[in-house]
Amino acid sequence: MNKVIYIIAIAGCLLVGGCKKFIDVNKDPNRPSSVQEPLILAPAELVVTQSLYAGNVSTIIQEYVQTMALNQPVPNSGTYFMVQSDMNGDWTVLYATCLNNLARLDSVATLNGNTNYAAIAKILEAFCWGQGTDLWGDIPYTQALAGAGNYTPVYDKQEDIYKGIQQLLDDAIADIAKQGVVLPGDDDYLYKGDMAKWQKLAYTLKARFYMHLTKAPGYNAATQADLALQALDKGMAANDDDLKFPYQGIEGQENIWFQTFLPGSTFILASGFVDTLKARNDPRLTYMVKPAKETGLYTGRQIGSAPGSLEAYSRPSDFYQGANAFNYVVNYSEALFLKAEATLIKSGFAAAQPVYQQAILSHMTKLGVTSGAISTYMTARGTLTAANALQRIMEEKATANFLSIENFTDWRRTGFPVIKKVLNGSSEVPRRLLYPQVEVISNPQPQQSARLTDRVWWDQQ
Amino acid sequence: MNPKPYLLFIIAIVCCVGMRVYAQSVPLKGKVTDQAGNPVIGATIKIQHSSKGTTVGADGTFELSVEANAVLEVTAIGFDPARVNVANQTTITITLTENKKELNEVVVTALGVKREKRALTYSTQEVKGATLVEAKEPNIVNALSGKVAGVQITSSSGTPGSSSRIVIRGATSFYGENQALIIVDGVPVNNDETGNLNSGPGTNRLADIDPAIIENISVLKGAAATALYGSAGARGVIMITTKSGTGVTKKPSVTFSQDVSFETPWLPEVQDKYAQGEYNTVTKQYEYFNGEDKKTSSSWGPLMDTLTVNGQKLKKYNQLKDFFKTGITSNSTVSVNGGNGLSDYFVSYSYLKQTGTTPKTDYDRHALFAKYNTKILNNLTSTFQLNYSSSQNDRLPEGYILEAPIWTVLTAPISWNPLPYENADGTQRVFRYSRNNPYWVLDNIYNKATVNRFIPVITLHYTPTNWLTITERMGADIYSEQDKYRESRGSAANPPGRIIEQNLNYRQFNHDFIVNATKDVGSFNLNLLLGNNVYSAYNQTEYAKGTGLNIDDFDNIGQASAITYNETHYQSRKVGFYAQANVDWKRMFILSLTGRYDGSSVLSRDKSFYPYGSVAGSFVFSELLSPAVTDVMNFGKIRLSYATVGNDNVRPYQLNTPYQLPQGSGDAAGVAGIIFTNYAFPFQGQTGYLLSQTLGNPNLKNERLNEVEVGLETNFFHNRLGLEASYFVRKTKDGIIPGVPIAPSTGYAGTTVNSAQMQNKGLEILLNAKPVQSKDFSWDMTINFTRIRNKVLAIYNGQSQIGNGFTSIIVGQPYGAIVGTMFKRTASGQLLIDDAGLPFSDSTGVIGDINPDWMGGISNTFRYKQFSLSFLFDMKKGGDIQNNVDGYGYFYGTPKATEDRADRVVPGINASDNKPNTTVVTGQDYWRRLNAVTESIIQDGTYVKLRTISLSYDFGKSLFPNSFVRSASFIVTGRNLWIYSPHFTGGDPEVSSFGSSSGSQGMYSFSTPTSRSVNFTLKVSF
Repeated sequence: MNKVIYIIAIAGCLLVGGCKKFIDVNKDPNRPSSVQEPLILAPAELVVTQSLYAGNVSTIIQEYVQTMALNQPVPNSGTYFMVQSDMNGDWTVLYATCLNNLARLDSVATLNGNTNYAAIAKILEAFCWGQGTDLWGDIPYTQALAGAGNYTPVYDKQEDIYKGIQQLLDDAIADIAKQGVVLPGDDDYLYKGDMAKWQKLAYTLKARFYMHLTKAPGYNAATQADLALQALDKGMAANDDDLKFPYQGIEGQENIWFQTFLPGSTFILASGFVDTLKARNDPRLTYMVKPAKETGLYTGRQIGSAPGSLEAYSRPSDFYQGANAFNYVVNYSEALFLKAEATLIKSGFAAAQPVYQQAILSHMTKLGVTSGAISTYMTARGTLTAANALQRIMEEKATANFLSIENFTDWRRTGFPVIKKVLNGSSEVPRRLLYPQVEVISNPQPQQSARLTDRVWWDQQ
Repeated sequence: MNPKPYLLFIIAIVCCVGMRVYAQSVPLKGKVTDQAGNPVIGATIKIQHSSKGTTVGADGTFELSVEANAVLEVTAIGFDPARVNVANQTTITITLTENKKELNEVVVTALGVKREKRALTYSTQEVKGATLVEAKEPNIVNALSGKVAGVQITSSSGTPGSSSRIVIRGATSFYGENQALIIVDGVPVNNDETGNLNSGPGTNRLADIDPAIIENISVLKGAAATALYGSAGARGVIMITTKSGTGVTKKPSVTFSQDVSFETPWLPEVQDKYAQGEYNTVTKQYEYFNGEDKKTSSSWGPLMDTLTVNGQKLKKYNQLKDFFKTGITSNSTVSVNGGNGLSDYFVSYSYLKQTGTTPKTDYDRHALFAKYNTKILNNLTSTFQLNYSSSQNDRLPEGYILEAPIWTVLTAPISWNPLPYENADGTQRVFRYSRNNPYWVLDNIYNKATVNRFIPVITLHYTPTNWLTITERMGADIYSEQDKYRESRGSAANPPGRIIEQNLNYRQFNHDFIVNATKDVGSFNLNLLLGNNVYSAYNQTEYAKGTGLNIDDFDNIGQASAITYNETHYQSRKVGFYAQANVDWKRMFILSLTGRYDGSSVLSRDKSFYPYGSVAGSFVFSELLSPAVTDVMNFGKIRLSYATVGNDNVRPYQLNTPYQLPQGSGDAAGVAGIIFTNYAFPFQGQTGYLLSQTLGNPNLKNERLNEVEVGLETNFFHNRLGLEASYFVRKTKDGIIPGVPIAPSTGYAGTTVNSAQMQNKGLEILLNAKPVQSKDFSWDMTINFTRIRNKVLAIYNGQSQIGNGFTSIIVGQPYGAIVGTMFKRTASGQLLIDDAGLPFSDSTGVIGDINPDWMGGISNTFRYKQFSLSFLFDMKKGGDIQNNVDGYGYFYGTPKATEDRADRVVPGINASDNKPNTTVVTGQDYWRRLNAVTESIIQDGTYVKLRTISLSYDFGKSLFPNSFVRSASFIVTGRNLWIYSPHFTGGDPEVSSFGSSSGSQGMYSFSTPTSRSVNFTLKVSF
């Protein structure tokens, strides 16, 4: 009898042990648990430039600055209609798609001693944090990206986030200085591993973020201008240094703006942009805008008006929205306009004028405008006076920064180019975005009642 | 060594043997037959006052050693028991009389065990195979519609091969599978929805099984009934038993049947008065747009009757009638069965060919089924069966995507001629931008799904003694599916065109080893069942997408400018040990206990094994009633059960946070603007991986479903009237939510947790009546009624709402609450009107509930001599639907309701000055405002349907009296001939345009309407 029990017990153990082994098949064969830096960098660059910088939130911002319009009836995002759930996707892109992966890239690269990859990750991270806080004000920063470690990160003050951004860029510059051996190659769509260009970008971004604080409480414009000018000295030096994502025009992988302006989306250019170029006789009109299919004319749509025939309006030219166009993320022209504004603050309009003209020229040569047209335009608009200096600089900067989110930040900060509330707008022109509903539900915080018309910390009167 | 114990032992044996010798037992050979002389299979013979006995073989014979003058007790289900004194006979024939009055229904229960219905302690319902075939539905799920209490069946679209959804006793999981488990002859089969590579429903794979091979279906509803089936059974089980050759004479018999049916769609009503156009705010007129050089999406043009262009009146087009056609279905079945006492066989082949009411859609299915039963040894029987089906389904995209042709058909202006669909330069000719011409779609977009499926099952029954049965069952479900989608260049949604190839490989193996012992001890009948189950499922998807087509009329993906390919596969395994004990006292008190211990591969390693079980009891109180009462109520039983089931309703590989191939598709749709951002890696020659946005949960454990059920079963007037009622309460605890949203600032958009709680309470009533039963005329009636109330009790961490496709999961609301924008109203409920004179919305809230208040079905069968008339009414009260067709339609001015487009003052209170509104608005502005507020398109889906009505004539032998034709019948069936749906403006409110998944429910969008049809059947047996 004992023998029988013994045998049953062994059989039982084998059975249970065998069973445990039999069901131990839960290792994912479809997805890897660790990958090397180049495999993270490539998609990270795509999502930062395409989904974050040029994604849904960008089209809404372009409507606020009246560059783009929807051919839809009122109310719509262009007439300042927004509910918190509209922001779920973009907030997820910011944190889960972009920042979480960049932070991971940074830590993997640092662990492996690949300082160049770490530097790029930090620079792109700073870029993302910058866009996030400029649009949403106070956002989670120190407690963010902890996964299961913290399901309810508190929202940091924007001022602290700005300090963090400058620190990140400084750390990136220090990483580049280490001259790491391992360089990115084709996985770096943006600069193909040219660390000198990454460094210039880091400095230009430092300058940009310094200048954002010209009106921030506790900061003064002159100091910020100084810091900016110092950084710009080591920043971008030519159109070649532009941070731009190249597209090959492959079907299904076309330029993001090409996809955004497909007829199905009903996005076209707004009258705010097209009419402005026409009013100034800006030769860039034909280089930046396409004639409408139906009429052959350069027509922008008035935001808030009743929908018209879609093809009676214009879209951007192929330079910006062709299937194989570049997606311009940070322009050399912006560096020059930052310098112009900083010079204006520090030294006055006369000193700023040549920088200002250089800035316009950089954009026009990039577009391929003929020299004759350039000089005509310079005669008309190239002169600064004490009264119009800031306005002119900002207006031209907005044109050179076509389709950039920076235009919204610049308008908030300087009031130029002048933007008036649209027809049938449901409020005054927004100055920030709503917090997403997904945060309100999963991470309730006191800041989440902010409205579109509230001001972020640096956006003071 | 002490010899004494051994000696005593030997003496004892000798004595025992000796005593037997003294008793003079003789071998007895016998046969048990019924009054017609046919063998009674399954009869049991027991020697009175002893434990010896046997069961008869397939020919009704038996052998038994008996003493002289022994008394045999013979019992068989469906017969009066008999007591026979053997006297001195060595051969004996025992005749049993059929117990017509107390014919105890035998029901197939879990694991294929047949039990008397009276002995069950839980709720089941049976549907006979013949009833299923009467429904003339190619898909078994649809054939069950309206027949079973506690079961809700929702069809999706009218395209041939479209899926249907079957849920028993309410949803139990947020994002996991809620549909019932399907078991065929003891083996689970897959019922996933596959086959659609674009938008719209696919086919649920139960469609591969031909209804003609089904003997009957047992619906096991509660957790007590299904506790032996493991976790998946907690959602209810549809137990399908296929036909066998048993029980027929030795001669093979052939049956042939041919169906032909004609289908016409239930079309929604559109306005037929106004032409294409828009309201001109300058001229204050509705202006005509011709759709050629003046395009608009809308039909806010002038009245057609008074409109002239260049002096001519315009031709009116009925876009719906011109596009849809009559669908034709043909179904041919031939089956052979026969046997020779030791073995029997059943073979059936069907060919179904169905063309849809939308042109270029069809569903073809070949189904072959063969079953061979044989007696290998006297106590070892085996069954070998194979089910093979091969099907092809052609369909078009459906729903609110730009490629869907029905969107354009349902909203095209009546003033526009849709043909020719191409301009001279080869571009599409459409009345508006951003859509395809529906006739262009017919020639340039297709979605083909080809499925080959094998379901082999081997069953062995070994009965070494009369009280012990050992069953070994191995079954597999293997299918391979090839899907192909093509969209030509020039499509509005994808101008470069694309081809998608997808291959699915599915393999599932199931093995059961069961030991079943039955013993009578005094007035107790004890039954013990022990078993082991091993289950393994593997599925693989290969997906290749080619974008940018370069050659017309050529379908190979190689021509694409960019081709991406990816492959994923999933493997899961389960092991279970189970036991069931039934104690039956005097056939009056029945106690049933089950227990199961499962291990599943998808849960965390230290939580992968979990136990569960049930306890149930029933009391047949009619046994205690006096004969006077039992003349009225001949059977009465109350039952009570409690069950807890552990469940692993989640996909594999949820424990970790890996990297995954980044794929974007429409990153965050803009408000009223859809951005197409399709990117996939490899991208421009680079591979890449980004972190998964779902945080893994390494501590994932099983969820738990607890159910209490109380029921009453009664039969009156010797089974002329039967009433069954059940009430249940079931609660899901620790429910798994894969991907519950968390704050993205954590770095992740979701995680998998065990925190869901949901509850279902319901009442099921089934009434069977035979009001008239005479030789020539009989009338049978069945009424079923179901009322289920679902409530979500908890989600995660105090979160009160998460999304689920078109509905939302909200704590305190039923699963399937519709959330959307609602009109702003005063405290007393009046509409608030803005300064433009229109009502408006500034908030979202719960605006509907897709769950019905109650459901029911009434079926009647009248038989008069050779004629038989039966009809089934199916009704559903409540159950809201989002009518997306009207939603878009209000913008375009196409639904019938928008015929009312005169200028008006909307009754309500002005929001600024609180005075009654007096601002005049145009019809166009009014309807367009309604389009913007979801509340206006929530419609109550109440319906009463005449689901089937059929008239059949049984020729009997009268047609060919002396020929080999044994029987013939001719049947005319009408399906969906009449629908009463007072609040729904589409054709048929039983709709789910995007398919059978949980998140798709409650939405009517641009899908093929369901049809009304007339079916002619001729059935002949030889």
